[in-house]
Amino acid sequence: MKLTDVGESRVNGYLFVLERSLKTFLPGDVVRDAVREIESHVRERVAAADGAPNERAALEKILDELGPPLRVAQAYSAERTIDEAVATGRFVPIVRAVGHLAQTTMVGFFTALGLLVGYATSFAFFAFAVLKPIFPDNVGIQYVHGFPVGLGAHFPLSPGTDLRGGYWIIPVALFCGLGIFIATNRGARKYLAWWRERRLS
Amino acid sequence: MPLDTWQEQLRRGSLDLAILLTVASGPRYGLAIIQHLEAFTDLVVTEGTIYPILGRLTREGLLASQWVEGEAPHPRKYYTLTRAGTKRLSDMKVQWRAFAEKIDRLIAAAERG
Repeated sequence: MKLTDVGESRVNGYLFVLERSLKTFLPGDVVRDAVREIESHVRERVAAADGAPNERAALEKILDELGPPLRVAQAYSAERTIDEAVATGRFVPIVRAVGHLAQTTMVGFFTALGLLVGYATSFAFFAFAVLKPIFPDNVGIQYVHGFPVGLGAHFPLSPGTDLRGGYWIIPVALFCGLGIFIATNRGARKYLAWWRERRLS
Repeated sequence: MPLDTWQEQLRRGSLDLAILLTVASGPRYGLAIIQHLEAFTDLVVTEGTIYPILGRLTREGLLASQWVEGEAPHPRKYYTLTRAGTKRLSDMKVQWRAFAEKIDRLIAAAERG
């Protein structure tokens, strides 16, 4: 069967939606390769089809058997993003996988929110350690009337506020940041492993 | 657990083995793998979901892939079994036969009463 312009538009539309979906969680080169392979599949099926009863019906049958583009993209997500995150435990694949689940499931969204708090806290501690040597008089433990009320960078210091803490807070902040980061990353990895098991069961 | 859920688990659990067996006889491209699976099994429910599995098996080093142009009006991505894939397939076949044999024995024992 040779496609008319309408048929070509339908195929291109399918591939466009697939590409857009894949781009949300896969690197560009992987997306291009995946879309090229799916297009090859469609072209092969189209070439073998006799076009009965008409082009539209024949093409819809081919695309139905292939599956909706979002479902195909979801299968790529399940096979790639989560596997990579669980297997490597690296930060970027984990964030990418959690981000994708956050967009597709309600549980994923709230889990991602919790993990975001964990990662943000750890980065805050790292920032604290980096900023201390640059702004020694503005970074530290904030005391009001002799009571500690906060930790961080203050520009400028509020009246009546006393800032304490020497350079010793740098290793403490690094230790806390690293501890929270590792704990959050492990939690995220365990969550993704659980999700993957659940998907398979 | 509903029967269809159990069947789905069984299907997913055996797809890797089925794909490796399909490629074991020689290089095949995606659609040819799907057509072979469709001819012998009912493991393929949605054709598009086979490609991510092929991608994973390639990343795991069990399959190697290569684009071939000029053979058809459109390029085809061929998959072949790697040495690691051959070894894995051999192990999987042993495991599968042992497993099936045990289940068969259980079924026979249950039917004997």
